[in-house]
Amino acid sequence: MSKTNIVGTSSVRVDGLAKVTGAAQYVDDLDFGPGLLHAVVVESTRAHARLKKVDVSAAEKAPGVVRVVTGKDFPYKFGLYMQDRYIFAQDRVRFVGEQIAAVIAETPEAALRAAKLVKIDYEPLPAVLSLADALKKDAVILHPDLGSYQRVPWFFPRAGTNIAHWRKTRKGSVEKGFKQADFILEDTYTVPRYAHCPIEPHAVTGFFDLSGRLTLWASSQSPFAQRNVMATALKPFGLSHRDIRIVTPYVGGGFGGKAGVSMEIIAAVLAIAMKGRPVKLNWTREQEFMNTSQRQGVIARVKMGVKKNGRIVALEHTLHWDAGASAEYGANVVNAVGLSATGPYSVPNVKIDSVCVYTNMPPCGAYRGFGYSEFHFGLESHMTRVAKAIGMDPVKFRRLNAIREGDTLAYGAHMNPGDLRGAIDRVAREIRWGKAQKSEKPGRAIGKAVACFWKAPAMPPNASSAAFLKFNEDGSLNLTVSGMEIGQGFLTVMAQVAAEVLTVPVEKIRVETPDTDRNPYEWQTVGSHVTWSCGNAVRAAAEEVKARLLSTVARARHLKAEDLYLDAESVKSRKDKKFVLPFRDFVIDGIMRPNGNFIGGPIQGTGMFMPEFTSALGDPETSQGGHPNVHYTVGCAGIVVEVDKETGKLSVLKATLAVDAGKAINPELVKGQIVGGLVQGLATALYEDIRYAPNGRLLNPNFTDYKIPTALDCPAEIVPIILETTQPDGPFGARGVGEHTMVACAPMVADAIDDAVGVRLKTMPLTAEKVALALNGIEYDDVKGDNLGFCFRGRPCDYPFEVGGAR
Amino acid sequence: MSIAHEFEYARPASLKEALGLLARPVQGGAVPLAGGTDLVAWLRDGAVSPGRLVDLKGLEELRGIRLKGGRLWIGANTPFAEIIESSLVRRHAPTLAEAAGMVASVGVRNRATVGGNICSAVPCCDSGPALLVHEAAIHVATRRGTKSIPAGKWFLGPRRTALAKGGIVLGMSLPLSRHAGAFAKLKRYRGEDLAQASVAVRVDARGVWRVAYGSVAPTPIRGPKVERLLRGEKKPSAALLKKAAVLAEAEVAPITDIRSSQAYRRLMVGVMLKRAVRLAVARAAGRGPAYGINILEEDAK
Repeated sequence: MSKTNIVGTSSVRVDGLAKVTGAAQYVDDLDFGPGLLHAVVVESTRAHARLKKVDVSAAEKAPGVVRVVTGKDFPYKFGLYMQDRYIFAQDRVRFVGEQIAAVIAETPEAALRAAKLVKIDYEPLPAVLSLADALKKDAVILHPDLGSYQRVPWFFPRAGTNIAHWRKTRKGSVEKGFKQADFILEDTYTVPRYAHCPIEPHAVTGFFDLSGRLTLWASSQSPFAQRNVMATALKPFGLSHRDIRIVTPYVGGGFGGKAGVSMEIIAAVLAIAMKGRPVKLNWTREQEFMNTSQRQGVIARVKMGVKKNGRIVALEHTLHWDAGASAEYGANVVNAVGLSATGPYSVPNVKIDSVCVYTNMPPCGAYRGFGYSEFHFGLESHMTRVAKAIGMDPVKFRRLNAIREGDTLAYGAHMNPGDLRGAIDRVAREIRWGKAQKSEKPGRAIGKAVACFWKAPAMPPNASSAAFLKFNEDGSLNLTVSGMEIGQGFLTVMAQVAAEVLTVPVEKIRVETPDTDRNPYEWQTVGSHVTWSCGNAVRAAAEEVKARLLSTVARARHLKAEDLYLDAESVKSRKDKKFVLPFRDFVIDGIMRPNGNFIGGPIQGTGMFMPEFTSALGDPETSQGGHPNVHYTVGCAGIVVEVDKETGKLSVLKATLAVDAGKAINPELVKGQIVGGLVQGLATALYEDIRYAPNGRLLNPNFTDYKIPTALDCPAEIVPIILETTQPDGPFGARGVGEHTMVACAPMVADAIDDAVGVRLKTMPLTAEKVALALNGIEYDDVKGDNLGFCFRGRPCDYPFEVGGAR
Repeated sequence: MSIAHEFEYARPASLKEALGLLARPVQGGAVPLAGGTDLVAWLRDGAVSPGRLVDLKGLEELRGIRLKGGRLWIGANTPFAEIIESSLVRRHAPTLAEAAGMVASVGVRNRATVGGNICSAVPCCDSGPALLVHEAAIHVATRRGTKSIPAGKWFLGPRRTALAKGGIVLGMSLPLSRHAGAFAKLKRYRGEDLAQASVAVRVDARGVWRVAYGSVAPTPIRGPKVERLLRGEKKPSAALLKKAAVLAEAEVAPITDIRSSQAYRRLMVGVMLKRAVRLAVARAAGRGPAYGINILEEDAK
């Protein structure tokens, strides 16, 4: 890579000042005038029931009510990857919290009051609230029409069952591999559901104007994907893509929960129902938990065979996912894991079965990590256990098996560059691996652990990005892109990429959040791919602008473009040291010739990027033959914890994480991702603990009983480490890092607890309670009660894995 | 945040007016409002639907912290933040200040009142165990006059107290005597949390111990068996403490819910008792960390 001036420096966030001063506007801040209507959604109180009657007559007569809509008004399905979600429940409800009707009123209070007057007559159906029930032979089927649902070609639903998708990956022969193995370890790990908990709950205002144009102001990660999903679902109203406009102001956190479409489509149809008046739909915190998407729960069986020398020879990984009532997005999480559940290791013989199962629980979808945190918990726990069992140092064991550039992946493609062993070494050094530490406090023990991670963006093979760049009279620029600034610093990084190419200070580039009418296309801000993908588009746009700058000057001054170059906001010449033409002198008005003619005109550029080497067309039985992932980002994390042997409470003395960013375009922002990812990941590992009653009702849709970290809960010390092994097809060599930083947290905490006090936890979260009970010889499974975080209630070791099973 | 339920709101200027407003019939009944940190959330959730809220924040009688008649008097409207800051509370009832410091978060402590806390009377109420070990008296006013109710007879069940319908808590008074104490609270993380379990202890100059627990019974409860075992022990031995912990685990009646299993609550009551007693002993001897820590998370700062 050539030397850079702006890329690689920590430019100040372009959105920082607006955010810290409160000037930044979020959807609920926008003013729609006195005509604004407010909507409240009526939700199912049953996990599974036939809707016999929805009586809205009393609600319609309530004061202030303008209209009440139900599934009869909008009998349509939608979905990002598979259309299995209903705008409003039709003949049946499939989870507690599902939308059945909506009341539109002049005030939020009137809407709330009237919503209570909607009478719903349910005919109970047996609810599928355990994975075993969902998969048994005569199971109650949630989606009898599954076989006819529209879906992407890389999903393989099993019609007549509750299996929404089954990703199979086969490499080599695990039978042979296990025969060669000197040691085999097999065990079961469970990970419950988690909730994203953005500080800003979902909020949308929709306006269907009198000309029939639909505009939505939405808190979203995915304006273009939303437009596409809506244009597909709302076709019956004569709406096409050009008639739908999505405007996305700043977003108060997404973490995957604002990707795709969930409640936004309700606001869209409510606006259609109220042509001429804007309608606001704000989700409450409870609804944010219950009816957007959650992270899927999973029960996973890991069977690993190794040689005495530490080489992994076979891996069988079976994962059953609790997708909830809809898998329109969650099935792609299952898919991603089904391709990548070897973790960042070179394994010759692989069998992965990743099975997406419908249940009568709230729908799940994308969540930072996209399934990788979930499968890494079992896999990385297993790595440490296997190493110890064969008497090998867990760090050495990981290093030995670490994947390298060019290695054959489980689905047959080859690994991209990435310095996993470098990351392991840096982390091991940082936590003084191998040096036992004793606590100075009585009754406490210190434990250490490392865990590796990898992750690829999970995207359609043709997911793309685009950028527009235009100069203003004063030499400043407007950059329009449609990636979302969701706190990660995307806008700043895009400005840096353009600034680098054009030798313009970052402060002179205005880059704002998208509007699908005005901004160019972006698939979605998910998968940690926008720095890479949209960064390439911005770079291309900037290169086009650069070429125009040079050609304009060359033409006007009769110079050779190849002799010209950009420096300090000017065009300069290699031939003539004195030649300087500042951008502001010509980028709009052109350059005057001696005869008074002007040459040039407004200078602008466009850029686009689509990975042209990917393919989702792998063999359904083996996944061989395709190239589903663009690249993996690898890294390693380490932790030092102190455990109170009486209470089980854990203090994180130090957490460190090394990630190979390819090129850190803005190192401070990469460090921000590392710190944020660790804090979020540690919270899911330690105390975020969602609970469902046995009837499928979510018991803690609030921060009273679902705990997300406060400043007090941050580790005493966090050491971010950035490695830079160039990604050849990335902008300036960059690849994504955003999600990866939380992936290793749970297994490293589990390993550190084991290291400190000899307790091996295989069910997340790894609460103080579980540690203390284990230290007192009490089986958590014996005392855990009925209210659990997952569609699985018994003892993990008894779960049969009858489908795709390793046993 | 929208509250769908409609209600009257009144802010009386005198106690008499307040009692009248609480007594005057209204559909759904009248309820007193102090800091509102529980009540407003319950209103929003539709858990309660009173016809009238009688805001007590204007009542002079419910304000202030002072020494009165040889007792420490704390007005019902005192927010927890003021309890933490009060030099009188810190001197005469430091265990209560320690408990107050663990109530919810800074924002809530600025608003939530100690009177409201004992009237909400949830099993995990943080002020409960501290008031029990102080053998505080709760002073209430009704239209028939005022009376005081011992803290030990105050809590009748989850969200049920000895306060007569239409009554108002004026404040509470604590006897003054030399003592040391400690409050321990088990939480799921370091941020604001409702207690999974809590323990308050108090020992006086004669080695008389008082022990109380939170979140391990339908109400905050005293621990008479442990108190008897420790009686006269100014510095209980490790063996005795171990016995006390076993006794503590036996004299509580926790349930399993989403915050904790019964088994963990029971175990932790024993652990917290031992630690709280050791801390109180150290404090009685003029050693040990100052009040205002959570002994389960000493290194938090």
